[in-house]
Amino acid sequence: MTKYAMAVDLDRCQGCRGCMTACKVENNTVEGNFWMYVFRFESGTYPDTEMSFLPRPCQHCDNAPCVKVCPVGSRFKREDGLVLTDADRCIGCRYCELACPYGVNYFNWQKPDDAQYPIVDWQDDSLDPVTGGVIPPYKNPDLDQLWGDEQRRTAGGGHAKGIMEKCTFCVQRVEKGLDPACVETCPTDALVFGDIDDSDSPVSEYLRENRTWQLLDEAGTKPSVYYIGGRPPSREVTEIERPKATV
Amino acid sequence: MTSDTKSRTVLPQGVGKFSAKWLMFTAAMVAVLVIGILAYLYEANQGMIVTGMANTGTQGGVTWGLYVVMVEYFIGVSLAGIVLAAFAYVFNVKVLRPISRLAVLLTVGSLMVGVLAVLIDLGKPIRGIINMLLYVRPQSPFFGTFMLVAVGVLLTSLLYLYLDGRRDAAYLAEFDSSLRWYHRLWAAGYSDTQAERERHRRTMFWLSILVVPLVVIALSTEGLVFGIQVGRPGWFGSLQGPDFLVLAAASGLANLIVLTAIVRRVLHDDYVLIGRSVFKWLGGLLLAATAVALYFQVVELFTLLYATPGNERLLADALLRGPYAWIFWLGLVLLGLGLVLLVLQAARREWSVGLLVVASVAISTSAVAERYLTVIPSQTHGMLLPYEPGSYFPTWVEFAVVGGLFALGALLIGLFIKVFPIVPLNGADSDKEVLVDA
Repeated sequence: MTKYAMAVDLDRCQGCRGCMTACKVENNTVEGNFWMYVFRFESGTYPDTEMSFLPRPCQHCDNAPCVKVCPVGSRFKREDGLVLTDADRCIGCRYCELACPYGVNYFNWQKPDDAQYPIVDWQDDSLDPVTGGVIPPYKNPDLDQLWGDEQRRTAGGGHAKGIMEKCTFCVQRVEKGLDPACVETCPTDALVFGDIDDSDSPVSEYLRENRTWQLLDEAGTKPSVYYIGGRPPSREVTEIERPKATV
Repeated sequence: MTSDTKSRTVLPQGVGKFSAKWLMFTAAMVAVLVIGILAYLYEANQGMIVTGMANTGTQGGVTWGLYVVMVEYFIGVSLAGIVLAAFAYVFNVKVLRPISRLAVLLTVGSLMVGVLAVLIDLGKPIRGIINMLLYVRPQSPFFGTFMLVAVGVLLTSLLYLYLDGRRDAAYLAEFDSSLRWYHRLWAAGYSDTQAERERHRRTMFWLSILVVPLVVIALSTEGLVFGIQVGRPGWFGSLQGPDFLVLAAASGLANLIVLTAIVRRVLHDDYVLIGRSVFKWLGGLLLAATAVALYFQVVELFTLLYATPGNERLLADALLRGPYAWIFWLGLVLLGLGLVLLVLQAARREWSVGLLVVASVAISTSAVAERYLTVIPSQTHGMLLPYEPGSYFPTWVEFAVVGGLFALGALLIGLFIKVFPIVPLNGADSDKEVLVDA
């Protein structure tokens, strides 16, 4: 059996938020939706202050509260550990978002195409030589495929207005034997992904050699994401630099 | 039932008489409803981005807003009516018989509006109806809202209303009126023979007994939706279900008192139909329900003040002296005011309809505040990870849609009163013929 998990080495994370960007490019998520989110914390009083970072992907819990409350089975857990959302079945009740203690769910409040980042006016003729007539947002063709034994539309975001979406551990990449986009892009290798049922996998080795802790352990959700180094966030820290986005 | 075949044309209790006042009321309600529908169509077209809602966490919003607050309020209001009618039937409480139909009507009306509010809150309402039938999971507390409340309680209440009205419908069908087709349809072959009466009595009796546990179980799930969520401070706890029911009983009785006062005024020709003793009963019951509701709130308040672990403290601060403080204290003061007014009347053994209505409005408003505080603050100030606290204020779209829901409820009840006698014609004793001719 395969059982996917992620290790997050906080001693390596430098808070560059490259993973957040990689995720958005890979998954077509709309403005303000951060499936991967990196907290930038500050603690202490000047001059004794300390900065710390905490990447927060979906925890893909083994005892996922979001799966339990979904009234139609749109949110489900696969045998390989991924917790996914069926874009064709979700009715948009948003109960999963409330059940999740981590805040990883993002609802599409409007038509995804209308909610992409308005960086430049892509219709501008002078951009033609650069874009070659292709008008963004770029749509990852993998996201419209059906994935897994279940053959359900579970990959990526930006599918439709009025449905819930969240981190998928990049199911479309994992099924091809690739790492999730955030893991692939991390410049310090702070994120490690793999099969923990395979004792020779890099993630198994990493977890074996390091002391780990899990986010909100007390909630009993049994996450598939393990943290190494740093310490669990408390109310003593304040968040600095929230990403700017209009929602 | 009388076999009098004289051609009678004037229906009792102003049924079929559409007065100028009634038309004005209806026109006003239709106008509010139309504004609500337009606002919803705008929302359906643009997406829920036009509401004040946003994702919890990084977006600092609430994902369940005013719509869910109103779902909780409306479904709560529905509790008292059917239970009171069932109680009056089983124990043959003759005093309550004149308002039993109004009570069931209040249940049906508020449930219809409440269930509509659930659909309005869905991102994909049509897919919601289809998928709830195709893929429903009883493990989700939403099963309670959709299946037990929307299908179970609503259909049972409608059946109750229908069966209870058949005898009157058969009587009205003898009248030569423009509504005859409707009364015939309702009577559906009922001709008031002894055997039919007995069969109806038995059915109504057992239905009355069965409907109470159904309503209690179904409506408890409205509280459980929040109570079983371990990951959100302020929600997790076994009191949510009972707490919902207690406040539901108070808000439902309060609404019933206001409705009864209005109907009694509208039926001024038949003033005698709804006696003052009805208010004594309703007032006493509301007093009991309000006292228990206040008790529950005080217990929660003490727990918040005394022992607030970790993240609950942030929520407690937001409630007691933060952005929600004015709603919290206003709700508590209104509930207290309603209770004081009721206690004073009970002590003097004299129930004034005016004072009862004032107390009822205070208690009902307090219930809206309490539902708001159940749903909203745990989303803005109840994140377990150190996200910045969020905020929420409903937009005009949400207010317009909610206004439309109230108008729809008022229209349903207003229309019913004009096509069917709101006070059962056969009075308290179903074996006697206490028919009221106009």
